[in-house]
Amino acid sequence: MKSNAIAALFHERFCIFNLRSRKKVSALQEMVRHLKTQGRITDEQFILEMLKNRESLGSTGLGNGVAFPHGRSIAIKELTVLFARASAGVDFEALDEEPTYIFFLILAPSEKGAEIYLALLSELISLVQQPAKLEQLRAVKDFPSLIEILGGNSA
Amino acid sequence: MREEFRLLIALQDLDIMIREAKEQSTSDQYRDMGFKLTGLEELLGARSKLSGKIPPALRNRYEKLAAHYKLAILPVTGNKCLGCFVKLPTSFFSSAYSSELLTCENCGRLLYIP
Repeated sequence: MKSNAIAALFHERFCIFNLRSRKKVSALQEMVRHLKTQGRITDEQFILEMLKNRESLGSTGLGNGVAFPHGRSIAIKELTVLFARASAGVDFEALDEEPTYIFFLILAPSEKGAEIYLALLSELISLVQQPAKLEQLRAVKDFPSLIEILGGNSA
Repeated sequence: MREEFRLLIALQDLDIMIREAKEQSTSDQYRDMGFKLTGLEELLGARSKLSGKIPPALRNRYEKLAAHYKLAILPVTGNKCLGCFVKLPTSFFSSAYSSELLTCENCGRLLYIP
């Protein structure tokens, strides 16, 4: 997956640069509600339940301040990526038990296979493993800067 | 949407997740990326609890379909069943059915109009 292709999956409408929640469930709720407000999903309860179940399988907070909540549901019409940044940090029960500042929420339709988001997850995880990129993501405040960090063309 | 149908859809979402966690190639990819899939038992418990809330006749119908097809419930897209791709009658889309899970007359899958 090329970096331009990754960047193309992000939309300004699906970004939250000031996530307010400080706890895991309320953070998921805030992100899902944002997608509902933006008209991307119709039923936030299905998505929230699915994401909470996914977290009970194992935290998607992989550590280093980044989490990748994800899953598939019949209530998702098309692959959706939401970016969120919480400057105060969220207690997301991350694997390193440290606060989470950056979220990549990935939702896919149920009729698609897991591979639809596995490749994307893998690329995003590789990206945040670069210390410079991670530092930039922690400070990002607007969509053009985000796209630049992701390797896309912000123009 | 009727509560029993909501529960059924949630059950399928859970089944998709359980299947992913059990599939060796998928779970290997997750572990390679750093995810820990240690809560499978918890998910199975949640499934059992959820399944118990669904009326038996509807649950049995779902289980039979799920044993036969990868997905027992599918969304309707472009007036077609996404399982067998047969065009659905226009009556499906009347408001009278908006709160229902419908049945594809060709393949028998349950259909959800998003």
